[in-house]
Amino acid sequence: MGSVLMAASLCLPASAAGQNTVTVKSTRDPVDKSYRKMIRGMERFERERAFAPNATLRFQLLPRLPSTDMRGITLRIAGDTVSVPVPVDENNFFVLPRHAQALQEDAAVLASRKTASMTWRARIETSGLPTGLPAGLPAGTRRLGDLRLECRVGKEAGLVSNSSPLFGWISDALNTPEGVCTSPDGNYLFFAERPIFAVTLRAGKRVETLPFNMLYAGGEQTPDMLPFCDCQVLLDRTYYVPLWDASWPDDTLVEFEYMVDAPGGVTP
Amino acid sequence: MKLRLLLCAALLAGCATQPAPPGSIVAAERLAATVVAGRTTKAELLAAFGPTKSVRFDSGYEAWVYQSPAGGGQFSEFVVLVDPSGVVSKTRTRAPSIQ
Repeated sequence: MGSVLMAASLCLPASAAGQNTVTVKSTRDPVDKSYRKMIRGMERFERERAFAPNATLRFQLLPRLPSTDMRGITLRIAGDTVSVPVPVDENNFFVLPRHAQALQEDAAVLASRKTASMTWRARIETSGLPTGLPAGLPAGTRRLGDLRLECRVGKEAGLVSNSSPLFGWISDALNTPEGVCTSPDGNYLFFAERPIFAVTLRAGKRVETLPFNMLYAGGEQTPDMLPFCDCQVLLDRTYYVPLWDASWPDDTLVEFEYMVDAPGGVTP
Repeated sequence: MKLRLLLCAALLAGCATQPAPPGSIVAAERLAATVVAGRTTKAELLAAFGPTKSVRFDSGYEAWVYQSPAGGGQFSEFVVLVDPSGVVSKTRTRAPSIQ
């Protein structure tokens, strides 16, 4: 905001420089989501479909504060002159439409909640995984290639809302899709549907349960640190997967054991 | 010069030392004999094994982790889920791996 005002003041004629009013056509909270960035994420999804050839892309809103009311959220693309409503479903998923004027105006994607109260993720899912069936895979099973692409799209789209004033400059150095999604230290957090007790990778006959330090944001978050993590209220749903480890193919299944079993084995 | 090289070598050797595995080290047999889902309490875990690495969630659930030596420098991982009433509700063992 400061830089906007400074730029605006530099553009004023000298005779007006002493006046107190400046007209700014639009303002943007620094943590609002950029429409251009989110479109770039969607373009990356199209370019890198090889990770998830049969998957679809949606975006999801998730709570970041205990007080966030996630019911009835509305969303819109807001530019200088355009305002485009974006339907959000009951689980807070949405598909972002393409809009040439909004792109031109470098629009923001705004939700009807304070920006710091939510976090955002890309959600890429291959349909047809036999999840939740009595004789099939556990409910909520994911596919590793989908998660690999989710990381790339999510980072490209600028969705993750971590905020550490102390370590921001360090994370910036690694904060590219490649830096995060291809490194064991990338630490891209995923959220399961419900609180998890175990996460298991399955590729043919190879089956491995992830170590404890790949659950719950590494298990190292102290109460002081949690407010800086967008996992603040979803800690019991968070997990890392070895996105970087090429020995696990894209078709690897990521299965969950939940803290509390769903009644009757119903998919959550 | 030699002294400096020795010092550097000692420092590098220190860096190469394996870190302690996360969580208290407890024999797998003791864990199996002591921890029973649906019965064992948090107080009993503490009395038997002392504090270990754990995560407490807003829901009141807690996840505790222990390491059990499995030979050859490997450890199996024993994870305990404690429910909000303080009773173990689930346990699981992860196959051995080098820490």
